[in-house]
Amino acid sequence: MQYRPDASELLDAVASLLEGDVIAAVPPHLQHQVRVAANLCRVLQRESQLGDVNDAAERERLASILETGDHDDLSSLRAALTARLDDPAPIDLVLDRSIRATLLATLRADLAIAKPGYDTSTGEP
Amino acid sequence: MSDRSLDTAALCDWLRDLWMVDGDQALTVEIVAESTAGARRRNLVIDVHGGPRPGRFVATVLPTADIAILSMADEAIVRTVARDHGVPVPEVIGVCLDESVLSGQFFVSEFVDGETIPRRLLRLVHAEGIGERIVGQLGAGFARLHAIDPALAPQAMAAPIDPVGAALEAAHLVVANLLQPEPAFSYALRWLREHQPDEPSERRIVHADVRTGNVIVDRTGLRSILDWETAKVGDPMEDLAWVCTRMWRFGVDHLTVGGLGTVDTLRDAYVAGGGSWDEHRFRWWRVLVTMRWGTGLAGQAAMHLDGRFSSVVMAASGRRVAELAYDALTLIDAT
Repeated sequence: MQYRPDASELLDAVASLLEGDVIAAVPPHLQHQVRVAANLCRVLQRESQLGDVNDAAERERLASILETGDHDDLSSLRAALTARLDDPAPIDLVLDRSIRATLLATLRADLAIAKPGYDTSTGEP
Repeated sequence: MSDRSLDTAALCDWLRDLWMVDGDQALTVEIVAESTAGARRRNLVIDVHGGPRPGRFVATVLPTADIAILSMADEAIVRTVARDHGVPVPEVIGVCLDESVLSGQFFVSEFVDGETIPRRLLRLVHAEGIGERIVGQLGAGFARLHAIDPALAPQAMAAPIDPVGAALEAAHLVVANLLQPEPAFSYALRWLREHQPDEPSERRIVHADVRTGNVIVDRTGLRSILDWETAKVGDPMEDLAWVCTRMWRFGVDHLTVGGLGTVDTLRDAYVAGGGSWDEHRFRWWRVLVTMRWGTGLAGQAAMHLDGRFSSVVMAASGRRVAELAYDALTLIDAT
């Protein structure tokens, strides 16, 4: 196990440097890129905290909707659901609703990492 | 820019030819600003002194012709046709296909003063309270654009026989070629197939990229619609759907049309201008263009990863895919 600071704390340090001294020191045409880089550090910081929990929850939701007992890796489960959706065979209304709810739950969890607050906006989509 | 004096001399000679200005008459050109707002094109703001039409203009330069969506010559034609029919577009005064003058093909158009940068534009609009007025002007502009006889469009903009089916087929191809399976996009595609509307009864000239970021606004309202490189002949409802995409609201999410105003205002102005609004088609296109922009962001991430365009900004687009997938599914959820 690595000694402190942990990944999240290190990313916080890098983001603070980019948002502060670096952005003030770089020429204007680089400022947008530095701002984006700082934001990516914040995203990765949240990912280091929430990523594993989110992935486990997504695996569980997908295994349930696909009615598969074996908890395959997440990529295979996502591929299996994608293949089912790409197949033109009908999907009954109840399952369709469950799939949509499952996908929205996963996207909300992704947004908690990539853009917190995006899914709680008051506007229409 | 590496050598402004060279640009200026060649541009000056080109303007002399365009306006048939004799060698002994004074005509000088000064480059006063260069904007790199568009990722692919350079915009040079130029002041012309002397000659028959002194004043401020913009030279829009395409550095590499092979990245053109619509050729510069065709874009100049469609801009002129739209302007002639009352759509607010800066007047094009000349097109140059000789790439040696400004290191790429270009056209020169009148300079229209105002704000284009989205967040600054939205601050101005809401400080002045002119958001709904601008949305009304956009609706009226769309109605004028969509009333134009598509036979006036350049040949390169020829209509696909079925714009709805073609857009769906293109989306299908992109989703099939994503770097990793994205079930949310497959779900959206399935919904789009199941709810596919009839092809539009009339194909019209559509701009296909009118949004906050591609318009000029001042205190009086909408001044101009820019960036016509995506223009094509297609389904008018695509234009009306795209301007409502959440990404173009820049955080002003409760105002669906570009963070400016409401769909009601857009619809009323469009219909009052003679446009025919089809709610089912509008909702279908909203899902399609939202999903399509999500796959576009995924494409930017792929371009970073395979080295076609390595940049931290393109890389970051991969982490924005969830926003568009979420929007597409919530739009479906609301129908």
